[in-house]
Amino acid sequence: MNDHDSLTVLINNLASDFLFIDGKEIDVPTAGKFLNTLDGLVKEAGGRKMVQLKQVAGCLSSLLEKIVLNSVEDKEAGFNALEKGITLMQEIGESIKNTGSYEGSIEPFAQVITALTGEQGVADVAEAPPEEPQPSQGVQIGDESLIRDFIVEGLEYIDEIEVNILNLEQDTENKEYINIIFRPFHSMKGVASFLNLEQIRELAHSLETILDKARNDELQVTPGFIDVILDGADALKAMIIQLRDSLEGKPAQPLEVDLPVLRERIAGIEEGKGDARERKRVGEILVEEGSVTEEALEEGLKIAGEAVPPRKIGETLIAGGKVTPRQVSQALRKQAGQAMDTGAVRVDVRKLDDLIDMVGELVIAQSIIRQNQIVQSNGDSKLAKSIVQLSSITSEIQKTSTSLRMIPIKQTFQRMARLVRDLSKNTGKSIGVVMEGEETEIDRNMVDEIYNPLVHMIRNAVDHGIEPPEERVKQGKPERGAIQLRAYHRGGNIVIEISDDGKGLDKNSILKKAVENGVVDGSHTLSDQDIYRLIFHPGLSTAKKVTDVSGRGVGMDVVKQSVEKLRGKIEIDSAPGEGTTFITRFPLTMAIINGMIVRVGGEKYIIPTVAIRQLLRPEQKSCNTIAGKGETINVMGHLMPLVRLYDVLHIRPEHEHPWEAVAVVIEGENGAKCILVDEIIGEEEVVIKSLGEGLKGVRGVSGGAIMGDGSVGLILDPEGVFELSEM
Amino acid sequence: MSLDKNMRILVVDDFATMRKVIKNLLKQAGYNNIVEAEDGAEALKVLKSMKVDFVISDWNMPNMNGLEFLKAVRADAELSGLSFLMVTAEALQENVVLAVKAGVSDYIVKPFTAETLNDKIEKILKKA
Repeated sequence: MNDHDSLTVLINNLASDFLFIDGKEIDVPTAGKFLNTLDGLVKEAGGRKMVQLKQVAGCLSSLLEKIVLNSVEDKEAGFNALEKGITLMQEIGESIKNTGSYEGSIEPFAQVITALTGEQGVADVAEAPPEEPQPSQGVQIGDESLIRDFIVEGLEYIDEIEVNILNLEQDTENKEYINIIFRPFHSMKGVASFLNLEQIRELAHSLETILDKARNDELQVTPGFIDVILDGADALKAMIIQLRDSLEGKPAQPLEVDLPVLRERIAGIEEGKGDARERKRVGEILVEEGSVTEEALEEGLKIAGEAVPPRKIGETLIAGGKVTPRQVSQALRKQAGQAMDTGAVRVDVRKLDDLIDMVGELVIAQSIIRQNQIVQSNGDSKLAKSIVQLSSITSEIQKTSTSLRMIPIKQTFQRMARLVRDLSKNTGKSIGVVMEGEETEIDRNMVDEIYNPLVHMIRNAVDHGIEPPEERVKQGKPERGAIQLRAYHRGGNIVIEISDDGKGLDKNSILKKAVENGVVDGSHTLSDQDIYRLIFHPGLSTAKKVTDVSGRGVGMDVVKQSVEKLRGKIEIDSAPGEGTTFITRFPLTMAIINGMIVRVGGEKYIIPTVAIRQLLRPEQKSCNTIAGKGETINVMGHLMPLVRLYDVLHIRPEHEHPWEAVAVVIEGENGAKCILVDEIIGEEEVVIKSLGEGLKGVRGVSGGAIMGDGSVGLILDPEGVFELSEM
Repeated sequence: MSLDKNMRILVVDDFATMRKVIKNLLKQAGYNNIVEAEDGAEALKVLKSMKVDFVISDWNMPNMNGLEFLKAVRADAELSGLSFLMVTAEALQENVVLAVKAGVSDYIVKPFTAETLNDKIEKILKKA
């Protein structure tokens, strides 16, 4: 019977290896070898449906695992059991070879193994702890320098942890981030155990445990989870600083962290109950329900706390006859219910986006009805009222649904604050961050998009704005530089300001560079604002060297482009020696735009109102043609270039004379320009629809919109129109 | 191989302070010839560039963790017989079995004393 040969070989290998074991002791490498062979045996026997053989092999694996983990008390018994097992397998193998089956029972053997290991059948993961870790023998020679190293490295690790937790928060399924956060806690626990820093070790251990569970998918990464890890990291940091203070002989600052509360929260997370901080205690609920008096609760808590091990308050009160089991179970149910309705609901982001899309459609559909000719000309007052009602309800729904997607900008500000901290470390400057209006809300779809331009501005402020500490002191400024992050809503936009109290923009340097690069010619007199705006021009970088921090050729022009891609605007204000402020404005939502409907000939177009400075009907005398430069209109003393929209779009206009038409003054990149249109129809909030892949690249048009009457309008991109006019 | 207090020991751990702790304990036990590495990958480079007699490695490291490092050592013709002591914490019991199957010489649980460390080293070397 040849097909037994490979099995026979395996069994015989085990047997011969066994003979070579030295002195009845199974050491780790030997155990390893056996375990691998047994794995092969289990597989082979399993494949050939040799149940008994597989079971015996499984038992031996269990036994060896336990031996390796030092949980088999009687070493000699273990050794003998191994011998028995191998002999048994040889018997089974022979019997099957000769008669095709094995008639004996493996029960007695299995029982021996169970007795030794405390487990039935094939074990998977060893439950008993391995060798007892030994308590460290207290502070020894050279320990102080070790503690110092621990403090330095520990604090560094915690800073890293903070940054990575923010990453994890953005991407909760990412196991790699969990690993990255896990490791420092694990390392700190390890060293703390050697240095007898029990509090630190314990906290690090409990945090490490929940992180381990999260990466094995035993726990979910919820906001409560993130909070606990962050607070835990803060607590560890405080403990390490306390350690440092005591090492330096400074009076120990009391820990601001309430450790028992933190421990409870961690335990709560570990048991999957969510952040315990958010939930009322059972005792409190019982008092609220009137099931028990305050005094009885106090007493009960005392008894429960003093019991060893501490008993639950519910049990204690029942035992004391103060409440019925039913009242306690009702209170528990209420508590569980509370954990659910602490104000937040998890919703799939896609569902949210779908909802908002549909609301957009609702707005359009409702608008079409409202603007329908028949409806408008119908004199029925009831109908009119209903339409108004519908319109107002739709408007409310739209506001509410878009607000669902709004999140406070706090998180973005916090990321920026951490960035400032890292960058200031690299550049050797001391910089603090102040936040204002961090509760201001922004569409969550925009949050990631705006982060990059904001980061560049921060880098600028740190690298070029804030001076090195010595220089600041010389100027009478505080040594620590300040960066202020401010956010607020204004006119349907969110405004984000980044200010620094650094040296401000160097007008002359900018102007010089601009002239050098041919961006402007030396003849024009430019206002301060105009000069500052030049830094947004591509090819104008006044950084004297490519630094690690803000080099790599990313200039303010890219920042401006990214801001404008999001239909935002960026401005800059500066005072030499005092500082610089970047002011960025973004629409509150990406889906709807406030547009000015204009008519050119028989066609309607939409110009984003955010780009419009003013509307006017020019006087004949204000219109001029300047040789070599084209037409201009004099607007309040400023000469602005005039672009005839009908020309650019190749349409026949109603009016050709500017003084019979309307000039829309647009805020352009290179100053203001006027676009000539026939008529202004009105301002409207329109739902933006993408033009699709085919038309995306068309210059002068940034998208499409469904207008109130249901027709499709094109949204003009003023800069694109200007470019086209110059071709 | 006899117990030679001058043998070269490689300590591998990504936490510099931990390496220092182990180094101190080794010195207390009389071993002074110690080299260090930050992770499995760096450790392999060290092993290839000089003769090392004994490896003490942590389990949890970036770049190449202890288990991967162990497997790499055992798979290498020159290094396969190298004495390898794995340092582990109590949370990693199931990983002990993995290490044992991968051919670790023995393991030691944090925290430990210089004496325990020495005993483990001697035990491993007697068998080597």
